[in-house]
Amino acid sequence: MTAHIRPVCAVWVGMVCLVFCSRLSGMKAASICGNAQAECHFLSLANLFDRVIQHSARMHGISNDLHSEFELYFLPSKNQVSRVGRNCHTSNILTPNGKENAQRIEREELTEVIMKLLAAWRDPLWHFHQSVARNHRFNGYGSNKSLEMSDMAHELRKGVQKVVEKMQTLGVISNSVGGLASPEALLAADGSGWRFMKDSDLLYCFRRDSNKIQNYLKILKCRIVPEHGC
Amino acid sequence: MLRARMRRRLGLAVLLMLSAALRCRSASPPGKPVLIGCRSPEKETFTCWWEPGFNGGLPTRHRLFYEKEGSEEVHECPDYWSAGKNSCFFGKEQTSIWVEYSLTVVAFNALGNTSSDLFKIDDVMKIVKPYTPENVTVLVNDTANTPYLCVSWNHPPKVDTKSGWTTIKYELRVQKEDNKPEIFHPNKKNSFKVYNVDPGATYTVDMRCQLDQSSWSEWSTASVVKIPNYFQNEKPFWILVSIFSVIPLLATICIVVLKRKFVKQWLLPPVPGPKIRGVDVQLLKSGRAEDVINALIGNQNFPPAAAWMDQTEEYLLVSDSNDWLLTDPYISQKKKSLVIPAGVQLEIQCRTSAPAQSDCENAEVGKDGKVEPDHLAQTKESVLNVAAPSVSSGSKEAASGNAAGPTGYVDIQQHKGTQGAGPNAAQWDYSWVKEVNGETIFILKNEDAAAGLDVPGWEENTAADYSRVKEVNGDDVVLLQKHDSADSSCKKKEDRSAEWTNQKAKSRHGSDCGKGACLQIAGNGYVDSVPRFYVE
Repeated sequence: MTAHIRPVCAVWVGMVCLVFCSRLSGMKAASICGNAQAECHFLSLANLFDRVIQHSARMHGISNDLHSEFELYFLPSKNQVSRVGRNCHTSNILTPNGKENAQRIEREELTEVIMKLLAAWRDPLWHFHQSVARNHRFNGYGSNKSLEMSDMAHELRKGVQKVVEKMQTLGVISNSVGGLASPEALLAADGSGWRFMKDSDLLYCFRRDSNKIQNYLKILKCRIVPEHGC
Repeated sequence: MLRARMRRRLGLAVLLMLSAALRCRSASPPGKPVLIGCRSPEKETFTCWWEPGFNGGLPTRHRLFYEKEGSEEVHECPDYWSAGKNSCFFGKEQTSIWVEYSLTVVAFNALGNTSSDLFKIDDVMKIVKPYTPENVTVLVNDTANTPYLCVSWNHPPKVDTKSGWTTIKYELRVQKEDNKPEIFHPNKKNSFKVYNVDPGATYTVDMRCQLDQSSWSEWSTASVVKIPNYFQNEKPFWILVSIFSVIPLLATICIVVLKRKFVKQWLLPPVPGPKIRGVDVQLLKSGRAEDVINALIGNQNFPPAAAWMDQTEEYLLVSDSNDWLLTDPYISQKKKSLVIPAGVQLEIQCRTSAPAQSDCENAEVGKDGKVEPDHLAQTKESVLNVAAPSVSSGSKEAASGNAAGPTGYVDIQQHKGTQGAGPNAAQWDYSWVKEVNGETIFILKNEDAAAGLDVPGWEENTAADYSRVKEVNGDDVVLLQKHDSADSSCKKKEDRSAEWTNQKAKSRHGSDCGKGACLQIAGNGYVDSVPRFYVE
């Protein structure tokens, strides 16, 4: 009987592997779409939106935690007067500051704003993480968080790009929304004003901007695919 | 007297006037107002409140000025009344999220103004605090005996949930009586079901909400519900059931207790100890061997055939010579011829002339030999009855064969007189059946009174009783030699016994079973005189 068990086991394992491999290979092409292709595209767009929104919410949460911790340990005295001169390097990016404004501007513009913001924060966050790791200013918790924050910003940017591409293929927005080129060009004009920012200001600014990104993505989703959970 | 009064009154009046004048002059600029806080209920507008200081005795007016981030322009509060007294309401147009506000309240009166400290709002998001959820209703749903609470609510007022501008998160608190409250976070917008509720308990339910990770709202007004107790309704039923089951149980217990002996006997019947019928245990204990043996053996109804020790063994002389028969005075008295039928039945009457001797008649068996015993019970059954001789009494009673009936036993009647005597009774005679050949039984007669039951004694005593087979004539005739005198019988017997044994040893077979007769032949050549016959 043991002689039979071995080949049977091998065959069974082989079959399982085959099934898995077929599943894996099929996963790229697999979609939740059936016959109705048009609906299906919009469904996947909503799904993509949900994912990026979740991602941005998570990123904002981390930035909020870091900022609170920083204020707790490094700025015990809340001196409101000293904060007059705060200036974020992204202040020159015109962002809608209210619901009506965000609803009024064009989809493409809104999308562009999101992209600009994300692009503007790539280098500063990385720099911040490096300084934290080098100077041991935070404890280990803070260092991990800063790295995570930097990675998440990077991933979110890639995700939003995917969403933009999807929207463009669907014809939801025009192709005027630039890819990687235009935000970078804008940043180059700004220079590296962020290098002179204090860490506290950097954290403060990023917390605000991550909240903006989250809100703009939500508004964009509800403007484009409102029927899927708004 | 009058002058004094007048002076006093004058002094008082002057004093009063002076004080009045002084009071009029203490009006001062207003005290410093304090901004208490601001709140935005829906992330689109916000309101700020302040606390005025001492008004300085003069009518005071308060004004709020604010600056927005990135602009030096100073604005004044657009709406002082919508939100009540000492408040400022910022509408949608004036509200900018993610913008820093700097607020100041200035109190004005006729004498001057006083401004409060600067109040900064980092971000309107920080002051967002929604109202409580509306219309929180709790229903008890009791289907299928598993009750649950169904809580429903509406979003707080003025909050826009459609445009995706805000993401509301709700929190539900359920407290059972005085226990620790349980917190739930519903995923749905409007309803939630609470399942782990106990019947008969009272629950307090309230809710609050949050916008985009902002501060939580206040708890809504609590709803108190009581879950009906289902077990209560069924209580009488269960009481009845328990009563009706307890009564028979008690009755059973009473019966068992009263009749416990009976019950015990029924459950655990006594195991009878070993007991021999007729044997008195006390007798055994007393220890007298004779009594014991009597008790053990005497009561037994051994088949007579088995008690060969007690039986007289008789030897039948079979001879061919009538002379011998006639010459023997004793024997000639009775002449008997034995007819041995197909089934062997042989009855021999023996008489004893002397105590030591018992002669059995010789039965001559011839081919056509007839046996004519007087008391021969002739039946067709193949039963061999060898009547035991009566030693002392010589009565014929003993000689009467007790036919054992057609049971197949050879019944040798016990000698009654010597019943109970030990095996060493010297007066037992033995009959030997030497051989059964077909339908013929050859019995060796024992002339002497053989006494010993023991084999050696038996051999001694019966050594003289051997008859020698002289001739075998045919199938059913064996001619035996006549006995010599008793004097030399011993010797001869011994010789003969040797011969016998020799012969016997040769021709021995374990059992010689014929058609109707089967004899057990003892190993030493003797034929058991008490054979068992099995009648077909």
